[in-house]
Amino acid sequence: MDRKENSDYLWDGSGEPDPEIQRLESVLGRFAHRGTRPVLPEVVPERPWWSAFGIAWPMRPATVSAALAAVALLVAATVWFAIHRSQQVPAPTVGQSASGWRVTRIAGAPRVGNTAIENQTGRLAPGQTLVTDSQSRANITANDVGQIEVDPDTRLRVVQAGAERKRLALDRGTIHAFIWSPPGEFMVDTPSATAVDMGCAYTLQVDDTGAGLLRTTLGWVGFRLDGHDAFIPAGAVCATRPGVGPGTPCFEDAPPAFRAALNTFDFGPADQRASSLNILLKQSRRRDALTLWHLLARVDTNDRGRVYDHLAKLVPPPPAVTRAGVLRLDPTMLDMWWNQLGLGNVSLWRTFERSWSETNHKG
Amino acid sequence: MERRTVSERPEDSGEAVLREPALVGAARDGDRGAFGQLYDRYARMVHGLLLARVPYGAVDDLVQDVFLQALGRLRSLRDAASFGAWIAAIARNRAHDYHRRSRGDVELTDDVCAADAAGGRAAGAPAAAQPAPDSEAAMALAAIRSLPQAYRETLILRLVEGMTGPEIAVRTGLTPGSVRVNLHRGMQMLREKLGGGHL
Repeated sequence: MDRKENSDYLWDGSGEPDPEIQRLESVLGRFAHRGTRPVLPEVVPERPWWSAFGIAWPMRPATVSAALAAVALLVAATVWFAIHRSQQVPAPTVGQSASGWRVTRIAGAPRVGNTAIENQTGRLAPGQTLVTDSQSRANITANDVGQIEVDPDTRLRVVQAGAERKRLALDRGTIHAFIWSPPGEFMVDTPSATAVDMGCAYTLQVDDTGAGLLRTTLGWVGFRLDGHDAFIPAGAVCATRPGVGPGTPCFEDAPPAFRAALNTFDFGPADQRASSLNILLKQSRRRDALTLWHLLARVDTNDRGRVYDHLAKLVPPPPAVTRAGVLRLDPTMLDMWWNQLGLGNVSLWRTFERSWSETNHKG
Repeated sequence: MERRTVSERPEDSGEAVLREPALVGAARDGDRGAFGQLYDRYARMVHGLLLARVPYGAVDDLVQDVFLQALGRLRSLRDAASFGAWIAAIARNRAHDYHRRSRGDVELTDDVCAADAAGGRAAGAPAAAQPAPDSEAAMALAAIRSLPQAYRETLILRLVEGMTGPEIAVRTGLTPGSVRVNLHRGMQMLREKLGGGHL
């Protein structure tokens, strides 16, 4: 056969068909892609960090002037401090371990220990700390884990970088994580809870008091402290406080009164919990089944029946889930009801819990 | 004789390609419909790149993984026009990750490919005396997978996924010349491997 004569057929299917290529197309076609579009999770557009604290934009002129003055003062102080510090302390080289996270400067001069990362790329190994000041931002990447953007005024440590578990600690500041390692392998400790990635993208903030806020933009994240868990799907937020642990997650588009009541319920005075719960139950929408499901295990026994009834109206439980079972917090029934909410399958989390438990027992 | 057109999809036109950055931009803004269109355009390519590297039974799940990863990382894509090369890199990386995490699994060999196609028969299990119809496909796929990477990818996209040479170039970001060379050299090597008359 004259192969050249049939080259157009191989190139674009035109020209005289080549019987051998046709035969290959015929037998190999069974392996071709036939899938349909996947069900895509909600992607929440990026919002400025200040919106989480209720700061509106644009600001009023007086506020803008004050902010600019403060920034100018801060810049001057930082420059003065940097100049004097650089005259006193010789810059060591960036640690170059064989494993760990790769650090890249985005802006300013983020530091690993005492070493400023300027144009070079460094490695962040277990035990090392990345610190950004008010002017600097960095990016850290690990091929088998994911990518994390580190905002200004952040302190981030590498705690563990093993094959099965990767662990960072966010002491303060803000990180934006996009993680592609398998669910349950990557986690970030904060002073008041540990965020466990379940296949997702999220923003995690910790303020100087150790209080944290986690906002999921893709997939979902688990927040836990001493077995006290919160599941945070895309579009939802969850606060955490030192000494208390993770609060109750809610969707960001919940009415302000609902969110305020939830904050009071989680972290406010004990004598206001009952009135807060009344508001939560009264104002809950179908979407707020997320919050009510979490409340089942957080309310007093006497209030659990009311929460059950409201949640059952929003999302009827599966047939195998009984009121009595839920009132006694039967774990299997709670899991079945969670799966009914359409926010992800809790079995992923249970698998992680087993792995966590086994690891801790080995350790 | 009737001329066969391998791919007649409208998105193969130059006009559709020019609109792609807008699609990527819309997807970045949370437009799931726009991302769905990107999926329609690139699913065959991603599927083919994965099929060149991982067992057939794992490919569909990994295709979904790749697109979900891409959806979450769209903000990190600086040049919207290079979406194809970008998602191809994610797919290759995901396949690499699959093997790294499957240390306990059997190495991907021709036998495994045959088992894939024969409905999961374990590698090393006795083969039938006469090749079943499916084993012909498995042998052809195994032969392609034994070729050098560049030829392997291009031939799978052409012979399995039904993409044309120009379409492969547009989708992967390779130059048409490179694709043409890969197709012809790869096909030449494949003919030699299959010279025993399996096909």
